[in-house]
Amino acid sequence: MENLIENLKKQIIEQLNLAEVKPYDIDASAPLFGEGLGLDSIDALELIVLLEKNYGLKIQEPKDAKNIFQSVKTLAEYISSHKK
Amino acid sequence: MVFVTGIGTISAIGKNVSETLSSLLESRTGIGKINHLQTIHKDNYVAGEVNYSLQELENLAGLKNSNYNRTTLLSLLATQEALTSAGIKDASTYRTGFISASSVGGMSHSELLYKDFLEHNPHENFIDTHYTGAHATDVAKHFGITDYVTTISTACSSAANAIMLGARLINNNILDRVIVGGADALCKFTFNGFNTLMILDKEWCKPFDNNRKGLNLGEGAAYLVLESERVVKAENKKIIAVLSGYGNANDAFHQTASSPDGQGAYAAMQKALEVANFFSNKIDYINAHGTGTANNDSSEAAAIQNIFKKNIPPFSSTKSFTGHTLAAAASIEAVISILSIQNNTIFPNLNCVTPMQDTTLFPVTSLQKNTEINHVLSNSFGFGGNCSSLIFSRN
Amino acid sequence: MVIYINGTGCISHQNTIDVDTFLGNSQITCQPLLLAQEPDYKDYVPANMLRRMSHIIKMGIVAAKISLQQAELENVDAIITGTGLGCFEDTDKFLKTIIENNEQLLTPTSFIQSTHNTVAGQIALLIKCHNYNFTYTQQGLSFESALIDADMFLNENKNSNVLVGGLDEAIQPYYDLLVKAGHIKKQEDIITEIEKNKTKGFCLGEGASFFVLSNQKNKTTKAQIKGVKTYAAIKGSDDLKNQLAIFLQELNLSINDISLLLPGNSGDVEDDKILNENNKQLFSKTDIVYFKNLCGEFFTASAFALWLASTIVEKQRIPKTLMHNNNKELKNILIINQYRNTEYSFMCVSSC
Repeated sequence: MENLIENLKKQIIEQLNLAEVKPYDIDASAPLFGEGLGLDSIDALELIVLLEKNYGLKIQEPKDAKNIFQSVKTLAEYISSHKK
Repeated sequence: MVFVTGIGTISAIGKNVSETLSSLLESRTGIGKINHLQTIHKDNYVAGEVNYSLQELENLAGLKNSNYNRTTLLSLLATQEALTSAGIKDASTYRTGFISASSVGGMSHSELLYKDFLEHNPHENFIDTHYTGAHATDVAKHFGITDYVTTISTACSSAANAIMLGARLINNNILDRVIVGGADALCKFTFNGFNTLMILDKEWCKPFDNNRKGLNLGEGAAYLVLESERVVKAENKKIIAVLSGYGNANDAFHQTASSPDGQGAYAAMQKALEVANFFSNKIDYINAHGTGTANNDSSEAAAIQNIFKKNIPPFSSTKSFTGHTLAAAASIEAVISILSIQNNTIFPNLNCVTPMQDTTLFPVTSLQKNTEINHVLSNSFGFGGNCSSLIFSRN
Repeated sequence: MVIYINGTGCISHQNTIDVDTFLGNSQITCQPLLLAQEPDYKDYVPANMLRRMSHIIKMGIVAAKISLQQAELENVDAIITGTGLGCFEDTDKFLKTIIENNEQLLTPTSFIQSTHNTVAGQIALLIKCHNYNFTYTQQGLSFESALIDADMFLNENKNSNVLVGGLDEAIQPYYDLLVKAGHIKKQEDIITEIEKNKTKGFCLGEGASFFVLSNQKNKTTKAQIKGVKTYAAIKGSDDLKNQLAIFLQELNLSINDISLLLPGNSGDVEDDKILNENNKQLFSKTDIVYFKNLCGEFFTASAFALWLASTIVEKQRIPKTLMHNNNKELKNILIINQYRNTEYSFMCVSSC
């Protein structure tokens, strides 16, 4: 799980071009959207593609993304419980 | 005063105004299986395609080996019809302009050749026709219009701005006559773009329905001939409608999403009413932007609610017939708004069954004949916060 | 037409951000691709917004911000931009991924930012401007279309301020396409005196020039625009001469009133033919400064010319690198631009 979280942080930084952010700046339990990293709905769509590309997980409804993308931790939990 | 003396259109519901009217009166949508666009998604989605191949469009226009791309041909066909309906044979008799609108211009052509270019194996020089404004250059040249030619590209509100600009050029005494509208051909670029935003409905779109899932893309073109009072009098022109109001504002909320209360939409409608110089209760029908996305329809409903308070006029989104034709949408819907006035008919918002939870607004869902329609408000909003509203009136 | 230029911001191949030295270090670069000298964008835009911005968006936003600062304004009544090519970097990026990934696993950011109105929308978002917002794209007339709109807007809305900009980017794939299409001058054919070219092709440039315009003169006013006119299709030398005569007549000016001419010679021997004839026949006694050897040829190079003209008029000085020994009063500057010898425009800038 720890590894997955660290990898996710790196992938998020790369996908969203967060040039000023280092992996250790991201608190795995902190909210990704609004406060925290201050991501928005376009980032959410980028993360949906990240999930599909790197983990083969397809989110069909944008609505479902809300719970999954609460924090890096919730994202990691979703991946480990859904990955085949 | 700015008068509409000619109209022309081509879209999924017809290659001219009379076919368009028939489809509207028969509640027959043009959205269906994808036949022409070569995308891997074609079997999983529907779209409002103009049901002619590039070659067939060229034949319709009476051209041979024109080398025009799909956007240019759609633009040319609708312009031709508009000029004919306005009885214009010579574009050089008055100070005449051509103002078009497009979001992707020659993309439908470029995207087919880009791979060869990337593989260092180009077989055609497509860059000169790729530019979004290039179709306007070609169409203006075709009809001999030289006094003023430009193209507007403000995403899905583009054609509304072209129409508004034409009116202002006449009101500022820069032009006497101007052909205004927009054209966009379906292409893989836009199709995949909207798909990444996850706002495409795989089935028929359901604008203003609580269970709406997104929009259907469409393609087409429409143009209006606008003329000044002086020209109309001198030529004893038959007036089709009056462009009585226009407004442009920016939502300045988000790159793509509309604000929850539709601030930009509200401001655009408010400005259009100010220019028309009448109260909102004169509006008999609203041709809504109504794309069928969760965000647009809620936001637009909120803005309409805030403008019209307790007297919400009948409204519908005719994108359920044509699909969302992007930069051409506002001009196609301008033609539909004018048809609504001419026929005293409100065309229905198809596929809407369940009222939205967050509003009491509900569109007209069946054809309403014999309804007096004197003033129509038409809304168009786009990425980048661009919001525009037009008001068409009976002369 | 009375429009005052109350603020300007320009990013180009030259150092046009440092207005004090005013092209003191300018150089004619003999290269086929003249990229812009870019500032440190972090000085102007929050990092969180910067992360998604493509080249043209950054250039546009910074040029807009500088012009607003100069005009001492935080907001405006209208934002109007013109761009011939639009946001090509993002267009290319999205198109490439469509092809490479066969329409799968695509992300939205580059698509969203590929629309021509992206920059005008981003400026509105940044300064929270809910007002009039327009974007034009008509190849070589894109910027002039925006300027004509601004004139109408000021006419319709007294006491207002309009932000107008012309911008285009020259990114590698676009440059490659132009090379393949045979539009770019060969390296060995490039010479410093652009009007003396005997070969085909031009050097591609890029940039963003923004102007805060108003019909109110104030302490930040630099110059005034007396007239703008576009011609979608000029039919030869005589047509250009006739149109110019009409244009000047409408402004109550004669050729002798023009202190300086800025012709839009692109360096292409064919495309410049009419301009060269015109320069020789009508302006043999007028001082001439060429500008496309400074900024390169692009759809909105005329916006750079307007920046150059307004700065010359304001400072009453032509940079020494462009012309030696000029002590005359610089009253009216005429810009005659052409793109591919079809689209032509006139702009007249005057001191005030």
